[in-house]
Amino acid sequence: MADYRALWEILGMDLEKHDVLCAVLPELYGDVYLSQQNRPEGMNYYNFVISEVHGLRIQELENHKEEGGKVVGTFCVFVPDELILAAGAIGVGLCGGSQFWIEDGEKVLPRNICPLVKAFVGAKVSGTCPYFQSCDMLVGETTCDGKKKAWEILDEYVPTYVMDLPQMKRDKDYLKWAEEIEDLKAKLEALTGNQITEEKLAAAIKLCNRKRAALKRLYDARKALNVPISGKDALLISQIAFYDNPERFIEMTNKLCDELEERIEMSKGTAAQKAPRLLITGTPMAIPNWKLHHIIEESGATVVCEETCTGTRYFENPVDESQTDMAGMIKAMADRYLHINCACFTPNDGRVEDIIRYAREYGADGVVYYNLQFCHTYNIEYKAVEKALKEAGIPVLFIETDYSNDDTGQLKTRIEAFLEMLK
Amino acid sequence: MEEQDYYVIFPNVNEGLKLEKQLKEKKIKYTIVPTPREISKCCGICIKYLFEDEGAVKQAAAEHGIQVSGFHALHKRKK
Repeated sequence: MADYRALWEILGMDLEKHDVLCAVLPELYGDVYLSQQNRPEGMNYYNFVISEVHGLRIQELENHKEEGGKVVGTFCVFVPDELILAAGAIGVGLCGGSQFWIEDGEKVLPRNICPLVKAFVGAKVSGTCPYFQSCDMLVGETTCDGKKKAWEILDEYVPTYVMDLPQMKRDKDYLKWAEEIEDLKAKLEALTGNQITEEKLAAAIKLCNRKRAALKRLYDARKALNVPISGKDALLISQIAFYDNPERFIEMTNKLCDELEERIEMSKGTAAQKAPRLLITGTPMAIPNWKLHHIIEESGATVVCEETCTGTRYFENPVDESQTDMAGMIKAMADRYLHINCACFTPNDGRVEDIIRYAREYGADGVVYYNLQFCHTYNIEYKAVEKALKEAGIPVLFIETDYSNDDTGQLKTRIEAFLEMLK
Repeated sequence: MEEQDYYVIFPNVNEGLKLEKQLKEKKIKYTIVPTPREISKCCGICIKYLFEDEGAVKQAAAEHGIQVSGFHALHKRKK
């Protein structure tokens, strides 16, 4: 077996504690993923990525660093990957989705904040996440109060740069966001010593758009009557998109889509044809948070779409590729990114429209509104979403939860009752 | 007799990917999985195959000089 301990040691990890985390993965992944029947063969690639999640990819980051390259960690779909790539750096998504990190997070943070923030802070302070350990700089943003203050703590461990995301969508907010993107460009140039030229940025925009197109193709396949891939497999692919090598990810995801499109032709689905189809909307699900999808699909339904940051918000709307000068490209990025409908904006009517449109496009029988505990903006926005869905005649279930398994039984009961109602 | 799952493990990820390529070409059914802790404590891939294919898997590895660290059988996990 490949021995990555020497690599982890270079990264200054707590090997003993990290081993406890490693011990959980094979069993968890086996229970949630490998127990599925009728899985597309193309999922072997993502099995490989997960199996090597703290191995091969970390080695690739280390090799890049040995050649003088930089690694930049991000936490949000508003931070433009294009700039990181154009600066010759590698970007990795760092949101934490494991209960394992909560305890360490609570050592430095209050307990009553969202599990995602506690988990990523816990991952850093415990020295058990090799992605965090590989980063030369983190780029945070101001999407919520929890994150905003957590950057101050992370900055004590690794240089953390913060982008100030406007919380309204007026013309002046678009201008301000373009300025923030300009500032990040300068910061990345200083970090890497590489100038972000128009040519490099244009190439990075094309690369990121190709990744978006591959994910869109995957999601489009889920609109089929016989869904050719389970919701949890699609979620896994979205999660992997945040840290995998982009070119390899695009190639393998397109290969998988070839297989999915063949399955659609042959009416070969992963679930029973009459299985209820659900759309999930709400807060992000960072790897390895597969909890809700697992409960839903074990209960006999299929998740056909996620209107979340680990779903449609990550890939919808490409950056306009017709711009050729720096100012035009930065404006095009600002326009694309600020168009994302996150609950941190007021008002945020666009999200309600997105949910109803997706529910129809993906043929959803019902919507599950997923709220991570203590996420106030998404929690409050439920009221508007519920009202609009009721008016549209689409049933909705509100689920508030964290990463622990304490409420799994209760959630299962509520989801089964909801599915019963959809029949 | 209790049912078992069959795994082959590798000294490094590249050897695993080489064997995967051969199995794919020969249309031998396989699944890439995280190495079960009962087999090794080092993170990384291993390949799970069907018992009836064991001869073919061993032959594919031998034919192409692919290094393997061992073949293992484990009792199927009860859910």
